[in-house]
Amino acid sequence: MFDRLGAPRAGYSRVLAGFLATHAAKFDEIRARADQMFLNEGVTFNVYGDSAGAERIFPFDPIPRVIDAGTWATLERGLVQRVRALNAFVADVYGEGAILKDGVVPPDLIKTSSQFRRPAVGIKPPHGAYITVAGIDLVRDADGEFCVLEDNVRTPSGVSYVIKNRLVMTRLVPELIRAMGVRSVEHYPADLLACLCEMAPSGSSHPTVALLTPGPYNSAFFEHVFLSQQMGVELVEGRDLVCADHKLYMKTVGGLRQVDVLYRRIDDDFLDPVVFRPDSMLGVPGLTAVLRAGGAAVANGIGTGVADDKAVYAYTPDMIRYYLGEEPIIPIVRTYLLRDPEQRKIVLRDLDKFVVKPTGASGGYGVVIGPSASDRELADTRERIERDPAGFIAQPVVQLSVHPTITGHRSGGAAQIAPRHIDFRPFVLLGERPRVLAGGLTRVALREGSLIVNSSQGGGSKDTWVMAS
Amino acid sequence: MLRRIADHLFWMARYLERAEWRARLADVNYHLLVESPAPEPHPWAPLLAITGDGELFAQFHDEPGEARVLDFFTFQTRNPSSIRSCISAARDNARNLRHRLSSELWLEINTLYLETQGWSHAVFEQQGVYGFFNELRNRFHRLAGISHATLPRDIEYDFMTVGTMLERAENVSRLLDSKYHRLLPRLEDVGGPVDRMQWAAVLRSASALEAYRRVYGNQIAVQRVVEFLLFDPGFPRSARFCIDQLQAAAGRIEDAAGRAPAINAPGSPCGRLAAALRNTSAHRVIADGLHEFLMEMQDLCVEIGSMIFDRYLRFE
Repeated sequence: MFDRLGAPRAGYSRVLAGFLATHAAKFDEIRARADQMFLNEGVTFNVYGDSAGAERIFPFDPIPRVIDAGTWATLERGLVQRVRALNAFVADVYGEGAILKDGVVPPDLIKTSSQFRRPAVGIKPPHGAYITVAGIDLVRDADGEFCVLEDNVRTPSGVSYVIKNRLVMTRLVPELIRAMGVRSVEHYPADLLACLCEMAPSGSSHPTVALLTPGPYNSAFFEHVFLSQQMGVELVEGRDLVCADHKLYMKTVGGLRQVDVLYRRIDDDFLDPVVFRPDSMLGVPGLTAVLRAGGAAVANGIGTGVADDKAVYAYTPDMIRYYLGEEPIIPIVRTYLLRDPEQRKIVLRDLDKFVVKPTGASGGYGVVIGPSASDRELADTRERIERDPAGFIAQPVVQLSVHPTITGHRSGGAAQIAPRHIDFRPFVLLGERPRVLAGGLTRVALREGSLIVNSSQGGGSKDTWVMAS
Repeated sequence: MLRRIADHLFWMARYLERAEWRARLADVNYHLLVESPAPEPHPWAPLLAITGDGELFAQFHDEPGEARVLDFFTFQTRNPSSIRSCISAARDNARNLRHRLSSELWLEINTLYLETQGWSHAVFEQQGVYGFFNELRNRFHRLAGISHATLPRDIEYDFMTVGTMLERAENVSRLLDSKYHRLLPRLEDVGGPVDRMQWAAVLRSASALEAYRRVYGNQIAVQRVVEFLLFDPGFPRSARFCIDQLQAAAGRIEDAAGRAPAINAPGSPCGRLAAALRNTSAHRVIADGLHEFLMEMQDLCVEIGSMIFDRYLRFE
């Protein structure tokens, strides 16, 4: 929010003045009302490992994060560039493999990737749309520059909170949002639906789209409900679907009805027990064969995880140059591939100065932050790296930027405000043309000093205001 | 519409109706006790008998005292039929339906569910038994009003109607049966003041006392109460009314699904029950045995439920 000299960043001065003047005393009340709204409306997520059905709200911090129009314009171009390159990479990996043959990305990196899905080889989605929805995690580094922390191109979640957070803010501080000229986020579901419809196999002029959810115990179930409702499409579980004569159907009261496009929010491994995990009860047997025959389309495509693998991340700037012939607009964080003996030596020498991440995981699971890890954790991590060096990457600790956040309240009711670390996940839709949501999910690490912003691990969220001018 | 969605709609409606019926029963039993001249040794036992909870209760407690029965009946999560369990089951179904329900209806169900999470015997002390159940009944009225005012009248609504009406018809028969066989003090009391007061309580638990008086005046008589609660075509909690509504909704569902009408066919369980409710008199039913009639009615309700399940809700 502030630059190194302590002055408010562009865009903030007006918001600060407006927000602090009118609402400073009411922050805590606003936050409590927002939490109650989320709970009553069931805007909740489930935490794995908790008892079944344990629902929690994603804590909401009412002090908005602001991005000025100029910064956003650059980010937007950078995001589109990045997702286009990632999509081209997925198409290439499951097609000709040119980038591997040309030695730009080492072939064994792909073959050994836990996210590579052999059954996806040869499946050609309409318009070459493998990555329809991408969530790109950005952070501001020590110099205040945005850089990419990780890509999420499998089933990225969080967009429902972007829209719900805004809805709450418009109820709580309507006049301020209007006066500031904040760009709207509400057309995201319509944009998503348009992208999905564009993927319909030829012949369907009014395609039937459905959203596939693992069900109410999934951590993102609220989002699945929300998006299906906003798009006006059927929310289905695997048991609602059946494949027959190379087409996909849902079981309705009136019989079987064909589905053209499936927006799936289930991981690859559970999607089709015929080719992936045979014990999956969540998926649709035979779906992969239907996709191969062109009888239906899925978004995101099967196997897109090769592009957000944390080891592949190190090669993303080269990918952008290779496929688009452009220089990357948004930089990435320096990444050490531990499969490389030289790089591994550097990291293992100063393990306590690095962040170590498993290459195939997401959601913050398995991440070890060197400076705050115990000796035992470090020893354990070292052992795991030596056992499976290709399974990990390391990055220098990125000092996430901080943002004023309500941390409690003083006696008398006034809110107590302190800096907390934040990151940012904007969403990019890749249809026949790319669409970037003017906003995104700002997550905040509510624990003092913590760098982990994931909802499953004590994170909260803020509304993000992209200014129109 | 997906079969799974139809199933959730049907069960959400049934569980809400069941929870409401139980709130009414508890409330009425409480009033009976307050007004009753002769204290019985276990005045709360009939509640367990009507709902069929007796056996499960006996696994947890010995004596059916007021506090224990009320707790078991209202809050106990280990009792799958307690009001709290029913609301929780309704809400589980509603959670799968969020995208199909109006946001107002979902909000109301979820808020009610969240409140039940904080229920304990203390609420009876704070609000009083009367106050608690009165407020709860108002919540159900609000739910009904919100459904009525915000949901489109389509096949989804019809599945809810089928669930509500089937549950309600079954509960009416249980209610009548309980009075006839279990609450009777002594044989010579039949027709006496206690008997009349108990029949009035039965009417009240179906929100039927005022409506009954409009039709039959102030005189409470067994035959008329039976006539009213089983056969009245216009009262929304009579068995006849429920089955009429159920048939209308089931007919629309079969139309919309393009299936030959089977649920309402004359020989089907629903057709047989409808015929019995339209062509029989209270006099005849009592002469032939009310209990037998009510038992058959409950069996038919179960059969109707399985027929709907087989035709529309089952997956494979």
